[in-house]
Amino acid sequence: MKKRKFGLVMSLLLAAGTMLAGCGSDEGDSSKGKESDLRVGMVTDAGTIDDKSFNQGTWEGILMAEEDLGVKTKYLKPAGTTEAEYLKEIGNLYDAEYKFIITPGFKFETAVFQAQDKYEDAKFVIIDGNPHNGDYNPVVKDNTVAVFFAEHESGFLAGVAAAVELKEGEAGFIGGMEIPAVQKFNWGFQQGLKYANENLDTNVTMKAENVVYQGSFDNAAAGGQIAAQFYDRGVDVIFTAAGGVGVGAINEAKNRAKAGDNVWIVGVDVDQFEDGKYDGDKSVILTSAMKKLDQVAFDMVQAEIDGKFPGGETLTFDAKNDGIGLPEKNPNLSEETTGKVKEVYEKVKSEEIKVSGEQGDLFK
Amino acid sequence: MRNTIVSLISIILGLVAGGILMLFIGSNPIEGYSYLLQGALKNLERIGNTLATATPLIFTGLSVAFAFRTGLFNIGASGQMLVGGLAATAVALTFDLSRPILLLVMVLAGLVAGALWAFIPGLLKAKFNVHEVVSTIMMNWIAYWTIYYIVPGYFKGEFLETESKKLAESDTLRTPFLTEMFDGSYINLGLFLAVIAVIIIAFIIEKTTLGFELKAVGFNRFAAEYAGMKVNRNIILSMLISGALAGVGGVALYTGNASSIQIGILPAQGYDGIAVALLGANHPVGVFFAAVLFGILYSGTGFMNAMTEIPPELANTIIAIIIYFAATSVMIERLLNKFKAKKSNKEDKSGPVVEKGDS
Amino acid sequence: MSYVVEMLNIRKEFPGIVANDNITLTLKKGEIHALLGENGAGKSTLMGVLFGMYQPERGLIKVNGKEVKITNPNVANRLGIGMVHQHFKLVENFTVTENIILGSEPLKGMVLDIDKAAKRIEELSKHYGLNVDPHAKIEDISVGMQQRVEILKMLYREADVLILDEPTAVLTPVEIDELMKIMRNLINEGKSIIIITHKLKEIKAVADRCTVIRRGKGIGTVNVAESSEASLAEMMVGRHVSFKVDKKESTPGEVVLKIDSLSVKNNRKVMGLKDFSLEVRAGEIVGIAGVEGNGQTEIVEAITGLRKAESGTILISGEEITNLPIRQRNEKGISHIPEDRQKRGLVLDYSLVSNMVLQIYNKQPFSKRGLLNFPAMKAYAQNIIENFDVRSGEGASSIARTLSGGNQQKAIIGRELELDPKLLIAVQPTRGLDVGSIEYIHRRIIEHRDKGNAVLLISLELDEVLQLSDRIAIVNNGELVGEVIAAETNENEVGLMMAGVGKERSI
Repeated sequence: MKKRKFGLVMSLLLAAGTMLAGCGSDEGDSSKGKESDLRVGMVTDAGTIDDKSFNQGTWEGILMAEEDLGVKTKYLKPAGTTEAEYLKEIGNLYDAEYKFIITPGFKFETAVFQAQDKYEDAKFVIIDGNPHNGDYNPVVKDNTVAVFFAEHESGFLAGVAAAVELKEGEAGFIGGMEIPAVQKFNWGFQQGLKYANENLDTNVTMKAENVVYQGSFDNAAAGGQIAAQFYDRGVDVIFTAAGGVGVGAINEAKNRAKAGDNVWIVGVDVDQFEDGKYDGDKSVILTSAMKKLDQVAFDMVQAEIDGKFPGGETLTFDAKNDGIGLPEKNPNLSEETTGKVKEVYEKVKSEEIKVSGEQGDLFK
Repeated sequence: MRNTIVSLISIILGLVAGGILMLFIGSNPIEGYSYLLQGALKNLERIGNTLATATPLIFTGLSVAFAFRTGLFNIGASGQMLVGGLAATAVALTFDLSRPILLLVMVLAGLVAGALWAFIPGLLKAKFNVHEVVSTIMMNWIAYWTIYYIVPGYFKGEFLETESKKLAESDTLRTPFLTEMFDGSYINLGLFLAVIAVIIIAFIIEKTTLGFELKAVGFNRFAAEYAGMKVNRNIILSMLISGALAGVGGVALYTGNASSIQIGILPAQGYDGIAVALLGANHPVGVFFAAVLFGILYSGTGFMNAMTEIPPELANTIIAIIIYFAATSVMIERLLNKFKAKKSNKEDKSGPVVEKGDS
Repeated sequence: MSYVVEMLNIRKEFPGIVANDNITLTLKKGEIHALLGENGAGKSTLMGVLFGMYQPERGLIKVNGKEVKITNPNVANRLGIGMVHQHFKLVENFTVTENIILGSEPLKGMVLDIDKAAKRIEELSKHYGLNVDPHAKIEDISVGMQQRVEILKMLYREADVLILDEPTAVLTPVEIDELMKIMRNLINEGKSIIIITHKLKEIKAVADRCTVIRRGKGIGTVNVAESSEASLAEMMVGRHVSFKVDKKESTPGEVVLKIDSLSVKNNRKVMGLKDFSLEVRAGEIVGIAGVEGNGQTEIVEAITGLRKAESGTILISGEEITNLPIRQRNEKGISHIPEDRQKRGLVLDYSLVSNMVLQIYNKQPFSKRGLLNFPAMKAYAQNIIENFDVRSGEGASSIARTLSGGNQQKAIIGRELELDPKLLIAVQPTRGLDVGSIEYIHRRIIEHRDKGNAVLLISLELDEVLQLSDRIAIVNNGELVGEVIAAETNENEVGLMMAGVGKERSI
């Protein structure tokens, strides 16, 4: 497998700003008004376009491109999650002249494998996956880019932040399906706690029983139940990498926080601070382990317009190219914590700290 | 005949309501529907895909309709599809047989698995009077988690755990002759199986003593018991057949339309089958056409979305509206009656003139 | 005297059938007017037209001399017309008051004023001698009382014209007497009543005038005081009717049904039938007399196989059938006219054709190797329909549900007799039928006996048991009280035994 890191030209400020504030405020900006005849399409994965996760993150990036680069955009929602249904929607986009197609999620792997041959004059970006023919031998054609994230690094930073902020306590993890992208978040988080305990004078521990993969990304009720169990067992902060299941956990945390309990959630994929809000400005979201999906989607469109589409490559976004990280603003973290996390982030960037993407002797 | 008219009216009303919705969001409904039809039928490949989309729906629609005729409400078609699909996938991944024999064994395995899955609710209903709506829903989740356990444990793909290993092309119901005829569509032999199933089920219901008994039990189990029919045996038998149909539907979906079985997903076709059965008035031929219509809607939506500003969610709303009208077909029937009555009254103007009642 | 209601030349059609053809009915103020006709003659349809449930194709309705168009029951209510249906429309777990005010709830500001309503109901109840407790729950009161609640509902809505659809069908003899008293009270207070019935005795007892319809046609209106039961019956049926059952002396042969110390549990899981023994021979009719719920259902269901026997044996022609499945019992020659024709007797959504072969669809010539033979089924059904004069809109293809109750019953009896059973178990075979049909059914049952078959008759109508049976077994509280020869007994003796006063068990 040929893997190459891809340097990004990105403005973190723009990324965070757009995401938090939406994109209504800068009407009349002189940089706006560029026109491009590129048509960018996206096919959604299971779940809705506002899933606070993969679909939404990617789509927001595409909308950013519409705003700033003047491309036309469109998303389609397949009837199911089979390869045939994904291919059908890709075909629909293609027939409607949307020939730059972004597909979020590993489930598109086999569909994109076929599409890159079938529609040679179209460009494909697959996020979190590699095109293959069901045999997991990745074949990335010249009209395709495969994108991965270093979830473990993102989880690691969240772990460090949680430990430093809480100083002492118990942590837990709720995952969706037991798949690499989710597992790596978990393992990274555990390493982060460990690092803080060993180097930053904290004592936040984690027990094996408090690591659970619920098994789906949409069972919010189950998420709430698992979270309740954890909190009852004395867990203070739960890292959720579980889509809708995580939403259930957040709701459970909100109920407890309203009742005066001191409980926290660490969000995932995007900044979930808003989702955790209760009693006005307070939020149960301590911080979020982000994958900058929007930024990546935007950058890919930008690269295409600039004629620099890295076709045929498999890219990994990690700390080094600012493809992962914590939100710019973390109202629930003290300045001291933010400062320490920033230091750690720099060390991860410079590879002074190495975060492993493997289980090793960690829980699950 | 009457059922056909009611179903057609419900479809038209649904389309009109959908059109109004399109107008409301500022799209042209004529344009929208024309892209919908183009998306489903524009070229051979799309026609093939539409038929393939309809295939599992024919099976689940038949499954639900058949149970309905026996007075049973099988909401478990999703679960039965899953185990049917799993059985067929397992056969394909385990045995090395020549293609015709392998396909036959796969279909039989799916049929048996689906039947067994429905056997349990049937047995519970017959022996302990456990309502089948509850038990079939439970069986759906048992199937869901069984797949969740078995696929990663025994048939998992090499790197990812949410899908089974992909079947070799020659181990699927897709066949070069059909694929080529329909320009690379994923239409497959499942469609033929579905047509055969429609014929067999129509034959059973209308022409056989078995159908006579099953319907009698469905309409009035007390009278059936009185007449010496074995009510419990018929309930179980009906569930077995219903489950077998859904099971083969699962084979068509997972080894025909797709090449692998995914964990963590209950196939929506199981629930859509209820709507298909309703719209098809629980008649096998009606089910066939209702399923094809659903196929057109599901298949054409994407193209409609791609070509217009209509959001993807709207197409689902249209389908929901059609289902709604199908479900309220009683209302439409009543309206029809009223209309008829008015007409006959009008023709009767020669009769005495009556004045409005005081009120 | 002025008419409160005039229905002139009413015509109402349903697909394939003219239910009412040029019928005229006039109701005087303060009279009880009987509407008499056979089952399916069109009585209910005519009243449905008056109550706004059907729109007539032709004809004219006047209320208090003014022409009206009654488009739905609400209009009828506003015109002061109220109807008590044969099947009550009450909410079981509501109180009397709640049921009565349902749909026109009195409000005090924003809240329901139940007390005011209850008070008014109590007054009404007292005024008309109904004796109803406004606070009782429907599920706790008797059927007769529920009927009075329905009547009260009409009175509460200030109806002046009351239509009672077969009001005595569900009542015990004592309750019937009370209902008649109430009806007289009502007309004394200025109300007018139309009573739908086919029971001549009651018409003679209570009605002033009587309108007779036959097969949808109006036959005429007579003053009841000037007509006899026989003349009314003749108007209704169109020929002379005999009330006496003619039958020859029975010639009992070998034992067909032998029940030996049979015990059966009832629905409440206690013994509903205890140590019961009985023989029925070929060529005789054995009647079982008893007050409802004294073990009759258990006897029938144990013989037919619908209920498990706890102990004891049942033999048909010497062969034990105690634990055989239902179908095998049928094949051994047991036929059963069930008590509840809609629950057990028919698949209401099936056509008459299918219903006529309900037990034998799997036999030749109706099917062969699992395939149905529709022409054979249809021919067989048509034969029964003709023989038993089953009237329906579309002949053999009619859906059973569309038939009137009496025709449904005739179809069932025809089906069972056509099987030519060795043992016919007839439970309430003439319930809900008119005199013409009753006469016919009785004749067929006796014919069946005369062919050398055994008949077990279960009926709550003592008259019927006495007239039809050769021998009578009386049950009380699940036990056999005694047996008597029909020709040697009378109503009093059997009545006493039904109440549990025993007789020597020797005949």
